[in-house]
Amino acid sequence: MSIAKFLVRRTLQAVFVVWGVVTIMFGLRAVSPGDPATLMLGEGATAETIARVRAQEGLDEPIYVQYLDYVQGLLIGDFGYSWRSNREVEAMVIERIPATLELAIAATVVALVIAIPLGVVSATRRNEPADYGATLFSLLGISTPNFWLGLMLILLFGVWLGIFPTGRRPVGLVEAIWTLVAFGSAGDLLTWLQHITLPALTLGTYFTALITRLTRSGMVDELGKPYVTATRAKGLPAVLVRYKHVLRNTMIPILTVLGLQMGTLMGGAVITETVFNWPGLGLRLIDALDARDWPLMQGIIVFIAVAFVTINVFVDALYSSLDPRVNDE
Amino acid sequence: MISDRITSNLRRTFRESLLPKIGMVLLVSIVLMAVFAPLLATHDPTRTGYYDEGGNAYPPIGTEYTTQIAVDGEIQEVEVTADSAHVLGTNNVGQDVYSRFVYGARISLLVGFSATLMAMLVGVPIGLIAGYYGGRVDDALMRVADTMLAFPALVLALALIGVFGESPVYVPDPIVSLGLADGMPESIPIPGTVTIVAALVIWVWFARVARGEALSLRNEEYVKAAKSFGTTDRDVLIGHVLPNSVTPIIVLATIQVAVIILLEASLAYLGFSGTTLSWGYEIERGQDILRTRPWVSTLPGIGIVLTVIAVNLLGDWFRDALDPNLDEGQRGA
Repeated sequence: MSIAKFLVRRTLQAVFVVWGVVTIMFGLRAVSPGDPATLMLGEGATAETIARVRAQEGLDEPIYVQYLDYVQGLLIGDFGYSWRSNREVEAMVIERIPATLELAIAATVVALVIAIPLGVVSATRRNEPADYGATLFSLLGISTPNFWLGLMLILLFGVWLGIFPTGRRPVGLVEAIWTLVAFGSAGDLLTWLQHITLPALTLGTYFTALITRLTRSGMVDELGKPYVTATRAKGLPAVLVRYKHVLRNTMIPILTVLGLQMGTLMGGAVITETVFNWPGLGLRLIDALDARDWPLMQGIIVFIAVAFVTINVFVDALYSSLDPRVNDE
Repeated sequence: MISDRITSNLRRTFRESLLPKIGMVLLVSIVLMAVFAPLLATHDPTRTGYYDEGGNAYPPIGTEYTTQIAVDGEIQEVEVTADSAHVLGTNNVGQDVYSRFVYGARISLLVGFSATLMAMLVGVPIGLIAGYYGGRVDDALMRVADTMLAFPALVLALALIGVFGESPVYVPDPIVSLGLADGMPESIPIPGTVTIVAALVIWVWFARVARGEALSLRNEEYVKAAKSFGTTDRDVLIGHVLPNSVTPIIVLATIQVAVIILLEASLAYLGFSGTTLSWGYEIERGQDILRTRPWVSTLPGIGIVLTVIAVNLLGDWFRDALDPNLDEGQRGA
């Protein structure tokens, strides 16, 4: 199967998954208790106003008409209006994307920068102190709830040592880079860096631990294969074999897991944003849940699902270029 | 089912390495702590109002701290050394931190194990049937699985709890009803929706693993042989396919217990659990007073970490002994 055909098939599957998410969310909203018009207007609204809003929002239509309306809206990028603030949901989602994206990328960078060298060292020095250290670290990392880790980091670095700020995001990365380029002042960038350090560590630790484990076990498997002995016998230096051949082969399964773990990353972002009061999508989702603001909640979740499946299609594409055998299926 | 080879493998890896032993000791201790919580607790964990004379929460015994005491009718700030009946101090509503720590183990373990069991009971049969018959049933299952996995577990759980409420289930405490522990709560609230939601979130992983096993087993000679004798599909599934899929399912179950314990803690932290007697909830409660009373958040976190480490160590032991091919990719949710 050619790459193009493979991608078309994967994209169709992805579209199906997003449709599933949209439908499930709509179904949940339909069975959820509470009258939407009352939720929108508050307890004090008169019966007349409620009736008018019901008609306006199409709430008196049969359920399948409401469903078709909703799906039709989504297709043209209309996610409806927030019940709480009466603003367009798509605007409320979009304005929160940069904060979450910054956090997710920073956490992934933290994870990769620490985990891959750690995993390689651990695999090549098996049963030495460095390996034990890395194993202990990764065990702790996958076993620690990230909200608690966040609080402990706040306590240690924020309260006791006073090195890092303990919450909020006074400036975005894009604005910070803009001030650097336009005015030559690095102050904003520094502020950004200070504020994102603890959240990124909090969100990144689980992944650092997971990738360390994956890299280690993958490398151990690869290092035992005959081609490693063969290339070493041919006289290639150990370092070259390790990084050029072995690590490359180890990265393939790691990539897949990373793609699948994007869901965990998003869930982790919700928690991390709550701990650090980081104004991203996760914090907005919690607010929407607390207020039972269904259109906003649906909008955020559908957006997360789209992001998740898109990333996974990309991962699959990358995967097939790293491992040509995938296309032969 | 579990062959002699597997048991001897388990025994050998247990003997040879230290980590499974640590995991076993930890988990047994935590289970004992949870079971005998009413006997181990020093105070009713739900009772509020244990404050010092100055109306402040007690710090752990031996800590030096400042409080206000009335001396000759005048309020004075004094340095005192904490010396109360509260070994680990009290929280901001004056509850005994140690007793709540002991009781918190119950919620984590109950939710972790019962949700995993439920998910297994739902996911394994569906996966086996899908993999064994293949075709449309299988396609449908895989698409459902993809959809479920596109939801971040935590987000799906939050959405479901938003719909169904928290519905705590009050379970009578056997030790208290036997009259062995006076003054302890007679029943403890289990977060009902959280347990079911957790099972709903992870059953897909069980279905996927069971499907994979059934898919590869259905072409095995012995399965074909059994079918040629006229054995019904149902008997082939229960008698041959299921027993041979047990090992990877057990390994997966252990990983999922750890995942669920963390999920429950997160939900409780966000305030969506339905019980206040949970480690996650206690961490949230301590967050506002982190600067002045850090012990309130710190201790329950250590409880979660130790429990999850114990489960993970046993999971690694099972995986190494039973199925070296199962990888980290199934650390789902």
